[in-house]
Amino acid sequence: MTQPVEKKGDRFIIPIGPQHPALKEPGHFEFTVDGEMVTDATVRLGYVHRGIEKGVESRNYVQNLYMLERICGICSHTHAMVYAMGVEKLAGVEAPPRAQAIRLIVAELERIHSHMLWLGVAAHEAGFDTLFMYSWRDRETVMDLLEALSGNRVNYSANLLGGVKFDITPDQVKDILEGMAFLEERNRHYLEVVMNDMLLLGRIRGVGTMSKADAERLGAIGPTGRASGVARDVRLDAPYGAYRTFKPVLMLAETGDLEGRFNVRLREIMDSIRLIREAVTALPEGELTTRMPRRIKEGETVSRVEAPRGEAFYFIRSNGSEMPDRIKVRTPTIFNMATVLTLARGHQLADMPMILVGIDPCFSCNDRMVSLKRQGEEAAGGDAVAGPVMTWNEFRKAVMR
Amino acid sequence: MSEIFALLIFPSGLFLLGLGMAYEWVDRKLLARFQNRIGPRWFQPLADNIKLLAKEEVVPDGVNRLLFIGLPVVALAGALTAALYVPAFGLPPAYSFPGDLIVTIYLLSLMTLCIGLAGANTISRFSLIGATRTLTQLFSYEAPFMLTMLGPAIVARTWQIGAINEFAGAGNWLLLTQPIGFIVALIGLMGKLEMPPFDAPEAETEIVAGALTEYSGRGLALFHLGKGVELVVGVTLIGAFYLGGIANPLEFLIKTGALMLFIVGVQALMARMRIEQTVGLWWRYGSLLVLAQLLLLLIWETIV
Repeated sequence: MTQPVEKKGDRFIIPIGPQHPALKEPGHFEFTVDGEMVTDATVRLGYVHRGIEKGVESRNYVQNLYMLERICGICSHTHAMVYAMGVEKLAGVEAPPRAQAIRLIVAELERIHSHMLWLGVAAHEAGFDTLFMYSWRDRETVMDLLEALSGNRVNYSANLLGGVKFDITPDQVKDILEGMAFLEERNRHYLEVVMNDMLLLGRIRGVGTMSKADAERLGAIGPTGRASGVARDVRLDAPYGAYRTFKPVLMLAETGDLEGRFNVRLREIMDSIRLIREAVTALPEGELTTRMPRRIKEGETVSRVEAPRGEAFYFIRSNGSEMPDRIKVRTPTIFNMATVLTLARGHQLADMPMILVGIDPCFSCNDRMVSLKRQGEEAAGGDAVAGPVMTWNEFRKAVMR
Repeated sequence: MSEIFALLIFPSGLFLLGLGMAYEWVDRKLLARFQNRIGPRWFQPLADNIKLLAKEEVVPDGVNRLLFIGLPVVALAGALTAALYVPAFGLPPAYSFPGDLIVTIYLLSLMTLCIGLAGANTISRFSLIGATRTLTQLFSYEAPFMLTMLGPAIVARTWQIGAINEFAGAGNWLLLTQPIGFIVALIGLMGKLEMPPFDAPEAETEIVAGALTEYSGRGLALFHLGKGVELVVGVTLIGAFYLGGIANPLEFLIKTGALMLFIVGVQALMARMRIEQTVGLWWRYGSLLVLAQLLLLLIWETIV
């Protein structure tokens, strides 16, 4: 298929996506370029909207655990954990300490795996395929550990409502410690490579620089925000579960450029390794689960977890039945997406994939909400159209042609 | 009859295409091993090309059909013709005349020019950006690369590749006397072939496949074959000029093999450069260093 040059005035638009080698998931970006310089950027999301939020309303709480875990392939444990925490809060139940420690260990292993995956993807976008291959090879260590613990490499299914599914045996502790030693050595090496390789630095130093004020204004969160000096980490700001005992260290960078984001994420891997070591050696004894009621009593709650990409936020409303009345999921990528569009202006086209990947986007995570506008009607302030725009059946007909 | 055989089968023509694919395989396999991957099997480039040649060639809307189909042929023909004047596989050049060095250098540039034109011919946005980058890169590495070929010609006092090869073969390892020229020539060859870190013109994460985005089937296969041949011609030239000449097949394999090792090592170690970084590198460092070396050579030649 040909893509004819789109003439909109004198603008020359380079489309990236929905299908493009730079993107591992579908999203559509349009960069208006003047030669190599990007003068404007727009984004269109929603290609992987799956209607999960609607789906969970017709399933019971236990089934939803499996459903919500599949929101994201990388931070699957995060979603199950934040959901389980919310439901436990609603039911007035607390998971036993050992279960909470195991949740922390899996969450931190997941953070290592997510950040190492990001390192590889970012290196690939910079055309540094050797770093890509090496970091993904070493990432297998943490994937193997997760598989040994849970039996799965992607959706670990570690959580139950009121606890966790599996225990960590002393043998597994030994394996984890060995794996951590290896990963620590490798990641120290990668940190050295990223901070010293002149050609890579030429692609990341001073590129995509976001000031602290900008980061605050655009609402950047997670490692993207921390690279600009925004001291925000749910694990520290509102400690949950085992994070009350095992404290992470806030990793900040002041530069705000891509180098800072590399720096923050790689140091976070090191900190996760430290946390895992502490947690596995001081694993509290006790039960893995507590009893959970089948029906959750009426009420609503909010639960927050620091996912590898930033804050994952769940709103859960129960009407006293077996099924939730409403679950609203908010993932970090959607906040950081605004920073991409702002940072894109004034950079070169060659930097676009780097800046985009710099926020570690997860499209299927953030593609959740659709806002509809009646044809010919401009909604004031985006979604402020009064009354339902379409009935459920009309909507189905419209989207499932 | 023997001339037709020389042109179509050996040492030019089919044999050279095979050699090009073999070197492409060496490139891919070594790079894979450096990156801790397994890499392709030995016949993979051949299989790729057969498959591409057998496939439909889609001619997109809005292109000049003649140019679209003709450019890959011209590019491959240019590379194959250039091979006639170099001691490919350690055999004496099939054709030779005083001044064939200049012709060869121009024939080698034909490939890049064809890729640039092919990109500019289509209306795809990725191709247009790719073509701009390809031609920008051409203007940055071409002059330094030419100067590096000039150095050996000046000391050998001839413009004939065969004669320079013989001069180098008589124990003159120009690598030792013109180290800058050697390095710049190798890196220039990588720029010519758009290998990492100079692959901005075909950076897949930015502009898909650059100027060749719209090419499929036969056209793409011909461009790939041409690049393979150009790789062979390039390493042969550098080996003959700087590494003490290439007099027999064994020497050819050893010297070009060593050069390939260097080229692949550079590819594995570096991140992609932005196009303006590439231009800056060539004009700020490459050209100036080679020019300085050339000046020294000229002064030396006039004194001695």
